[in-house]
Amino acid sequence: MKLVKPQTATHERGESLLSAPPQPLPQERRKVPRTWETPPAPVPAPHLDEYRTIVGMGEIDELRFLARELKGKTVKMVNSTAVGGGVAEMLNRLVPLLGELEVPAHWDVITGGNDFFEVTKAFHNALHGAEYELTKSAQEIYLAYNDQNRQRMQFTEDMVVIHDPQPAVLITSRKEKDTPARWVWRCHIDLSNPNPQVWGFLRPFIEKYDAAIVSSQSFARPLSIPQYLFYPCIDPLSEKNKELDESIVQKVCDEFGVDRSRPILTQVSRFDRLKDPVGVVQAFKLARKYVDCQLVLAGGGASDDPEGALVLKEVKEAAGDDPDIIILDLPPWCALEINALQRVSTIVVQKSIKEGFGLTVTEALWKGKPTIAGAVGGIPNQIIHKLTGMLVHSVEGCAYQIRYLLTHPEFRRTTGPEWPRTR
Amino acid sequence: MTTAAQSISRTPAKPFYFNTSAHLLRITTQKANTLTELLEALHVCPDDSIFQHTFRTLQEHHFIREGFSNDFAHWVLSACNEPGLAEQLASVDVREFTSIGELRERFIQIVEKHLQLHPADGARMADETFYFCASDIVVMPTNFVAETMRGFAKGLREVSVHSIHHHFIEARLRLKLMSNDFSQWLHEDVGLTDTARALNRIDIYTATLEDVRGQMVRAVERALT
Repeated sequence: MKLVKPQTATHERGESLLSAPPQPLPQERRKVPRTWETPPAPVPAPHLDEYRTIVGMGEIDELRFLARELKGKTVKMVNSTAVGGGVAEMLNRLVPLLGELEVPAHWDVITGGNDFFEVTKAFHNALHGAEYELTKSAQEIYLAYNDQNRQRMQFTEDMVVIHDPQPAVLITSRKEKDTPARWVWRCHIDLSNPNPQVWGFLRPFIEKYDAAIVSSQSFARPLSIPQYLFYPCIDPLSEKNKELDESIVQKVCDEFGVDRSRPILTQVSRFDRLKDPVGVVQAFKLARKYVDCQLVLAGGGASDDPEGALVLKEVKEAAGDDPDIIILDLPPWCALEINALQRVSTIVVQKSIKEGFGLTVTEALWKGKPTIAGAVGGIPNQIIHKLTGMLVHSVEGCAYQIRYLLTHPEFRRTTGPEWPRTR
Repeated sequence: MTTAAQSISRTPAKPFYFNTSAHLLRITTQKANTLTELLEALHVCPDDSIFQHTFRTLQEHHFIREGFSNDFAHWVLSACNEPGLAEQLASVDVREFTSIGELRERFIQIVEKHLQLHPADGARMADETFYFCASDIVVMPTNFVAETMRGFAKGLREVSVHSIHHHFIEARLRLKLMSNDFSQWLHEDVGLTDTARALNRIDIYTATLEDVRGQMVRAVERALT
C-alpha cells in the first residue's frame, strides 16, 4: 500500500497534519451560479438515426424491424414525477423514441398531496427493507390518491406500463371485457428484501398485472405472473451525457469553485439516505488523511421525495465548514453541469446502501471514469469488481478504494469497460 | 490454395444473408444458494437457461476481455469462493458443443465430480443467490445481404454485435457443427477455406465482440487483397 504525502491534508477536526496550514479558499468559491435560477429552454430530443454514431446503423435497423410488428399499437406510461430522478429522465427520452418508431406512447404523471408522497416515500424505503409499521391510515391515503388518479386518467391504450409502487393500484382500472390491453408493472427499486407488511399489502395488486419487469434478477419475488429483467438505460446524446467542449467544463468548474489542479471525487445523487451521502463525506474525510482531494456532492430533489431537504441538512452538518467539500443542491435542469462535473472528476462515487440500478454509475462508466460504488441492488450488474470499477460494502472500504485509485493512476486508466466509443 | 485475384473475382454460389437476434430475459423460478442446489437446478432447468448463462452471457458482456466465460463459473468464484471449481467451469468452451444437452451434461459432470471429492462444499451457503434466467429469442433479418466478398466485408463492418454473436457464436447450435455461419459460407459457397478456418480460430474469450468483428474484417480483407 502506497501512501502519498498530502498537499493540504487535514484530519477530521480540520487541523493541519502538515506544517503549513491549508490555504484559505477564495470567497467566490461557493458563489451561486446563474444556472440555479433560470431553467434553460428545453433541448429537443435527438432522433433515432442520430444514435447511429453510438451503436451503429445495424442496431437502429433492428429496432425499426422489431417495432414494425407493433406499428400503431399505443402505450401509456405512468409514474409519479415528471422531473427529478431516473424514471422521469428515462421516460423523457423513451417516449419520443417510441413515437418515432410508430408506437405512439403517452406519459401520465399521478398527482397527490404531501400526505400521499410521505406515504409512498415510506413505502419506497420499506420495500428497500426499512422497518415500517403499515397503518390503516397510510393504506387509506395510498388507496384514496390512487383512486383519485384512476378516475382522472383514461386507459385506452394497447399497453399500460405502471412505474414503481406509487401508482401500482391503477391496475384496478383494468376492465378485461372492454379492452385487451396488457398491463405491466415496471419496478425500478430493489425488492430483494422488502418489508413484509408493505409487500404483503401491494402483492395482490401486482399479481393483477400481466407481467413485472425488474432491474436485477435478485429483485424477482415469488409471484404468479412472469417476471422479466430489463436494465435501465442512459441517453448518450442527452445534455447529461453528450461530449462537452473543454470551455463548458471549465466554466462549470469556475462557477462551482472546483479546483481542477487537485483530485476531484464526485457523487451525483438525490439527497436521499439510501444514496448514503453522509457516508461519502465520512469516506472522503478518512481518505483525505492520506491523499489530497476534494469532494463534490451534487444532487437535487424530486417532487415525489419529501425527505430531500432533511437529508441535505444532514449532509451539510456532516460536511461542517470543510472548504474541500462542495455541496450543490441543483435543480433538475442542470444536466449540463452534472455532465461537466462527472467529466472533470478523477473518481466518481455512488456509495448507495440500496439501489435498484445506479444510472449515475452507468453515466460514469460511459464517460470512462473510474467508479467506486456500493455492492448493492442492481449495481453488481453494472460493475464487475476490479475489472470495470470498484465495489464497496462500507465507509472504510470506500475510503480505501479512493486512496488506492488516487495513488495508482495506471490502474485508474486501465479500469473500465472497453466501449466501442463511436461507430 | 486460393490466389488473391481469384478471391476478388469469385462470385459466391449463394449470397450471405445477415440475420440477427433479440432476446427477452425471463427470470425463472429456479435458484441456487449452495453448490448442491446448483447441481439440482442444472439437472432440471430449461435449455433456455443453460443457453442464457453460457452463450448469451458472452453477448451481454461483449465489452470485456476477461472474467465472464460463463455465469456458473463467475458465481462459483464470486459467491462460493471456490476458485478450483470455478476454473474448471470457466474452461468449458461453448465452441466445443453443438447442443445444449451436451453442454448441460458437461457442467453437471464437473460439479458432480467436485462434490464427490469435496462433499462438505455442497451445503455451504453462497454469499449471493444464483438466479436462473432464460432467453426468449426473436430472430430477424437485417438490411445486409452479401453477394460479393466486398459486400460481405461491408456487412461484417456494419451489422450490430448481436448479428455477429448470432452468426459467429450461436450458430453452432443450429449448424450442429464445430463451426459458424461465416466460416461455413466462406468454405462452401465461396471456396475460401483458409479464410474460413482463420475466422473459426478467433478466440471469443479473450476479445470483445468488437475485437472479434475487427479480426474477422481483417481476415476477409486479407483475402480480398
